[in-house]
Amino acid sequence: MKIAVCIKQVPTREWQPRLNDDKTWIREQDVSYEMNEPDAYALEEALRLREKHGGEVVVCSAGPARVQQVIREALARGADRALHVDDNALGSADAFVTAAALAAAMGDERFDLVLTGLQSDDQGHAQMGVILAEQLGVPHSTIIMEIQVVDAAIRVKRELEGGWFQWIAMPLPALLTIQSGINQLRYATLKGIMAAKKKEIRKIPLPGSLQPAQQIVALSMPTRSKQTQMIAGSPAEAARELVRRLREEARVL
Amino acid sequence: MEVDVLIVGGGPAGLSAALRLAQLQTAQGGEPLSIAVLEKAREAGAHSLSGAVLDPSALRELIPDFRERGAPIAADVHADHVYFLTEHAKFEFPIIPPPLRNHGNHIISLNQFVRWLAEQVEAHGIDFFSGFAAQDVLMEGTRILGVRTGDRGISRHGEQKPTFEPGVDITAKITIFCDGVRGNLTKELLRRLPLGADRAPQQFAVGLKELWDIPPGRVAAGTVIHTLGYPLAEEQFGGAFIYAMSDRHLSLGFVVGLDYSDPQFDPHMAFNRFKQHPFIAALLGDGQMVRYGAKALPEGGWNTIPRTYMDGGLIAGDAGGFLNSMRLKGIHLAMRTGMLAAEAAFDAIRANDTSAASLKRYQDKIDASPVRSELYPVRNVHQAFGHGLWAGLAFSGVSLLTGGWWPVELQGEAGHTRMHRLPPGRGSGAVNEPASNATSVDRRLTFDKLTNVHYSGTAHEEDQPSHLLVHTEVCSTICGPEYGHPCVRFCPANVYEIMREADGTPRLQINASNCVHCKTCDIMDPYAVITWVPPEGGGPQYNGM
Amino acid sequence: MILVVAEQREGRLNRATWEAIAAAQALSAEGVPVQVVVLGGTVATTAQEIAAAGVGDVIAVEHVSLATYTPDAFTTAMRQVVDKIAPTFVLLPHTYQTRDFAPMLAARMRKSLVTDVTGINGNGAAATFIRPMFQGKLAAEVRPQGEPPFLVSVQIGAYRADAVRKGNAAAVTSMSVVIDASAIRQQPDAPFQEARQAVDLSQADRIVSVGRGIKSQDNIAIAKNLATAMGAEIAASRPICDNGWLPMERQIGSSGQTVAPKLYVALGISGAIQHLVGMKGSRTIVAINKDADAPIFEVADYGIVGDLFEVVPAIVNELEKG
Repeated sequence: MKIAVCIKQVPTREWQPRLNDDKTWIREQDVSYEMNEPDAYALEEALRLREKHGGEVVVCSAGPARVQQVIREALARGADRALHVDDNALGSADAFVTAAALAAAMGDERFDLVLTGLQSDDQGHAQMGVILAEQLGVPHSTIIMEIQVVDAAIRVKRELEGGWFQWIAMPLPALLTIQSGINQLRYATLKGIMAAKKKEIRKIPLPGSLQPAQQIVALSMPTRSKQTQMIAGSPAEAARELVRRLREEARVL
Repeated sequence: MEVDVLIVGGGPAGLSAALRLAQLQTAQGGEPLSIAVLEKAREAGAHSLSGAVLDPSALRELIPDFRERGAPIAADVHADHVYFLTEHAKFEFPIIPPPLRNHGNHIISLNQFVRWLAEQVEAHGIDFFSGFAAQDVLMEGTRILGVRTGDRGISRHGEQKPTFEPGVDITAKITIFCDGVRGNLTKELLRRLPLGADRAPQQFAVGLKELWDIPPGRVAAGTVIHTLGYPLAEEQFGGAFIYAMSDRHLSLGFVVGLDYSDPQFDPHMAFNRFKQHPFIAALLGDGQMVRYGAKALPEGGWNTIPRTYMDGGLIAGDAGGFLNSMRLKGIHLAMRTGMLAAEAAFDAIRANDTSAASLKRYQDKIDASPVRSELYPVRNVHQAFGHGLWAGLAFSGVSLLTGGWWPVELQGEAGHTRMHRLPPGRGSGAVNEPASNATSVDRRLTFDKLTNVHYSGTAHEEDQPSHLLVHTEVCSTICGPEYGHPCVRFCPANVYEIMREADGTPRLQINASNCVHCKTCDIMDPYAVITWVPPEGGGPQYNGM
Repeated sequence: MILVVAEQREGRLNRATWEAIAAAQALSAEGVPVQVVVLGGTVATTAQEIAAAGVGDVIAVEHVSLATYTPDAFTTAMRQVVDKIAPTFVLLPHTYQTRDFAPMLAARMRKSLVTDVTGINGNGAAATFIRPMFQGKLAAEVRPQGEPPFLVSVQIGAYRADAVRKGNAAAVTSMSVVIDASAIRQQPDAPFQEARQAVDLSQADRIVSVGRGIKSQDNIAIAKNLATAMGAEIAASRPICDNGWLPMERQIGSSGQTVAPKLYVALGISGAIQHLVGMKGSRTIVAINKDADAPIFEVADYGIVGDLFEVVPAIVNELEKG
């Protein structure tokens, strides 16, 4: 099976937000990056599929030079080679531009299966994978928990809301967006890191004519618009007042 | 895995050693050496914290075109000020003591500097393995064979998880230990080999640091401020630094000697008190704390540096204690000892003799270098401060005039032995009292440890055994009455807490995931029963520090 | 005109549809109509239900290939609907189903889709949308690019279903669409429920959370009573889970789960920042703590400074009364 895994480099979970001067993006100077968590699970799933069915796992990433960090990590964990659409503009690109960039790079390869994380931990549009499927002309399903390969087709377990699930049969080639936490991530070993140095990372330029589908007007820290209402009185009185307000004002009971 | 030279620790010492080896290889040719650097942090610089004002002398030798190569210099030093603080006032030293004159030096973020250095190292094709901690030294008799990295994928109950990966033995002809202040491997070496035999006891301090964004216009970029006095008592070693990285971004820190006698003293509270001083509060007012961290410093000086060469091994940087406590600088010494270690290692390998006798050339190089000419004259200064602030200042003054000559070598002691016991009869309740130097925190200027620790970006895999090993049961028996559980005070990251069992017996709770890898507990515990070992990954994220 | 896409399964309307309608009403300027489209095999009941609320005309799109949801079928159908109706905006609730097909529809039509919207600024084609970024650490105001129609998915709970302005019953019209069944590439089986192995607090509408103030493991029963009375899940701050008093999956905070339920009740939780980052996005936060200076009160909507051992039973009492 020829499997592509699209991975994104995002700021670490511990990152404290700081904005650039015109507040249209984050201040990149002090940011540390890591592999987008759902993408890491997608990569692990791809590696397991290769272990079971043979083939090749190709990591695909669109971003500035710094995304080499996550590409190398993916190669160290066992991916065979990589495609890197390398352009500074991709650092803050929206889902549409990212998908178009990857589609242009991946189109010729004719992957049997493309896996992406269900959304990114930075912009979180939850669109890229689905747009990519449309651009590659392959069927898709989202929020996938399990993949079974049956001949030239797959059966996938899709997560629905509220504890419901659904199995779906699809032909290959196909694209799936993967839910976090569905497997256990393997470590990159020292041997893996050494081997990764010899693996191919093909650089591809960004196609010139891509227009973003949305523009960030401003970023801000979310502010609380409400004032804290302190409720006084004896326990019984306070309880009564609280329940009243929760029922009538906040309407959460 | 086998290499020619293994460098443990990817800080300024280790990276300078790696780079120097690459340069020697290029210049002198011959059989290419395989070189690897092991760094426990997830990425280069993540665990690097310092003030810092860099003396560029070593950098200029290692990378003469450092500016063209984009070395991250925040600001060139423009102005030096030294203040003596009382609770409400400040008195400026009319003359800056020569060791504290920083003209020609640069204010940097060590974290960013190390990141940049690592890029230079990797550009030479040297393997930089980040996220790999060396757990144990591999030895055969007195010979260093290499190190063993830590197992990964062990649950908090000690079981192997499905992702378990055993540690890897990395053997090398020469291992250069650059594992930092109170490095766990260097500590092991000092235990297994008589490296510290005829040396004075090592001494340390802890530095707490914050980065602040402040309204512009209060202080010019390149301003260097040091303070003495308040809030420390006369007999307590320490002081503060404020470095203006720009006119709106400050590096602010407080150093406390880890040799204070009051077990209820809290270094973090001293930092808070310092910020409450009107001069500091005015500087920081309406500003925002953006990062916090802490790290120990090796303060003992020349006489406390152990033997740094052994069969198949060398020690460089803070791990060896190469810090000038009078100038408050160690980065250039870490770099230079790293470079010299590289040179010694290179020559030894080419000569096919990596014995201690052959590697002694490293010590000879140090003795012939600016490292000795800088550290030897101030070898007694920190020990003089052991007699109090005024004694220390007086001695420093005399020392400058005599070039460090003094009729005797001043004795020092390991700091944790100076901690006094509580008066008898206090029971174990002392830990519930506020620290002796407690002050109120407002969470805008001053913070509690837990809030501060959040801004260190520290995180660890939760499902792993605690990496802080406490070897006896003193916590539930004698520590309470004798010292009042000082770990709760001296840890700047809220790792240690004392809980009570139903019958009132104290129980130590270790919040290992808060650890910022400062090593204070390993140093300052009065019973010396705490051993810090590297956790499985994790640690602080000291961006900009 | 603003078109809202309703979501239904087996004749039952997803409540989030009303939230999307409320958002559409917020977005529509004076005189701009809202219409609602329902897709399915047979949708008469749901179409009538929406029409009865009088929020706008309802379009019923029925086709055998729409009886079971697939992204291929829904995208094909919606493309035809949008082409025919030519709305300025298409609003959908940000459900798993919407996430599955709306980006495909947007890509196929080459139109902009803004997802997970929590607020709207302005009306008409120049409106901008607020959406979370960086896991809620930042709020982004974004402007769709290109030409209308612009697609927008609305975060569940961001708009209130009961805020919908109702009117006189509206009309239901049918619209036919052409779907080539053989071109549908997904073959879904019937959905099924699974006993969840892990606790997923992120799906809970209400959470009662305990901190150190609960003092002992036995006392957690008091919090559990409150949780039962409120129909809430139980959760905790870190120290409680470290002690083993509640399982680690119930931990809220930087080393546990991040949640944003409709109601978060913090009992005896001081509000260390490590905990706050895990819950401060909750819509309504109630804090009960003995310490008036506890940081939790800075993020609470309602606060009671008092002894939780007295206040909580009193609240349970009140709830059981009403």
